Amino acid sequence: MSLFGAERIGCPEVLASIVFIIEDAIEQVEHPDDVRNHISLCPNCSRQLEHEQLTHTFLVDALRRACVEKAPESLYESIQSQLMGARSSTEVVTTFSMTEISIEIDEFGNVEHREVQIEETHVQHINFDDGLPGGKIQ
Amino acid sequence: MTSKDLVLESASDRTIRFERDALVFMDQLYAAALRYTRNPEDARDLVQDTYIKAFTSFHQFEEGTNLRAWLYRVLTTTFINSYRKKQRQPLIANNELEDWQISQAQSHTSDLGKSAEVEALENLPDSDIKNALQELPEEFRMAVYLADVEGFSYKEIAEIVGIPAGTVMSRLHRGRKLLREKLADYARELGYTTDAKGENS
Repeated sequence: MSLFGAERIGCPEVLASIVFIIEDAIEQVEHPDDVRNHISLCPNCSRQLEHEQLTHTFLVDALRRACVEKAPESLYESIQSQLMGARSSTEVVTTFSMTEISIEIDEFGNVEHREVQIEETHVQHINFDDGLPGGKIQ
Repeated sequence: MTSKDLVLESASDRTIRFERDALVFMDQLYAAALRYTRNPEDARDLVQDTYIKAFTSFHQFEEGTNLRAWLYRVLTTTFINSYRKKQRQPLIANNELEDWQISQAQSHTSDLGKSAEVEALENLPDSDIKNALQELPEEFRMAVYLADVEGFSYKEIAEIVGIPAGTVMSRLHRGRKLLREKLADYARELGYTTDAKGENS
C-alpha cells in the first residue's frame, strides 16, 4: 500500500489505530507519527477516520439515549433501611500496635539501628445484620 | 484524609457520608446492572450487593478520589465474581483478543453505507439499541457500556474491570464493530439499507 510517501505503514494498520484516536490515546500505538502522517496523506483513511468519528458520536448518542434507567423505588428503600441499621449499630475498633527494634553491631563497631512499626486495625460492626447475609460484614 | 482519621470516623458519620456521596449514583448503577445482568431481578440484587460491599469497605475509599469509578469497580467485580457464574455466559477466548490488530481484516467502507448507518443510528428505537447491546458477548458489552454510555476512559475501564489497557482497546474496537453490525441488522428490518461493513450486499 504505497500511497504518497505514506508507505511506512499500510491502511489496515492505520484503520486498526482508529480506536486509539477515538479514545484520545494515539500515543499508545507503536508509531503514532506514521499513523498521523499516513492519515494526512491517504484520502481513503482520512475519510474513514472522519466517518468513524462521526458514527461513534451517533453511536454514543444512541446508547446514552437508550440506556437511561430509573432504579425502582423499592431498591432505594431497601438500601436506605440497611444503611439506617448501620447508623445505629455499634462499631468496635481494635488496633494492634507493635514496634520491632533491631540493633546490629558489626566487627568494626558500626551500629545499625532499625525500627519497624506494625499496626493493624480491625473494624467490627455489631447489630448490623438485619436483612443482610451474615458472612458479609467484617 | 489519612487512614488513621478514617478509623476515628464514627460509624454514624461514615454512614451519613456514604448516603450523601454514594447513593446519588443508584440510577446509573442500576442502568449498568441491567445491561450487565440483562434482567431487572438480578440487576436489583446486584445493585444492592454493590452498595453493601461498598459500604463495608467505604473506610478504604480515599476521599477526593473518584467515587463513581470506585463504585463501578465494586459493581463490576461483584458481577464478574458472582452473577456471571450464575448466568453461565460463554467467555470469549483470551488469545482471540490479543492478535486482533493483525487478524482483523481492515478495509475502507463505501460512501453509501456511511450516511445510511448514521441515519439508522439516529432513528432506531431504544428497544433495538438495547437488544443489540444485550446480544454482545459480556466482555465487549461491559467495555462498550463503560466507555460509551458512562464515558470512562480506557485507563479507568482497565481499573474497573481489572484488565490491561491494551485489552480494553481491543474489546472496545471489536465490541463497537460487532454492535454496529447488529444495529445494521435491526436497521435492515426497519427498512434502512445500510452497508455498514461494506460486505454481503
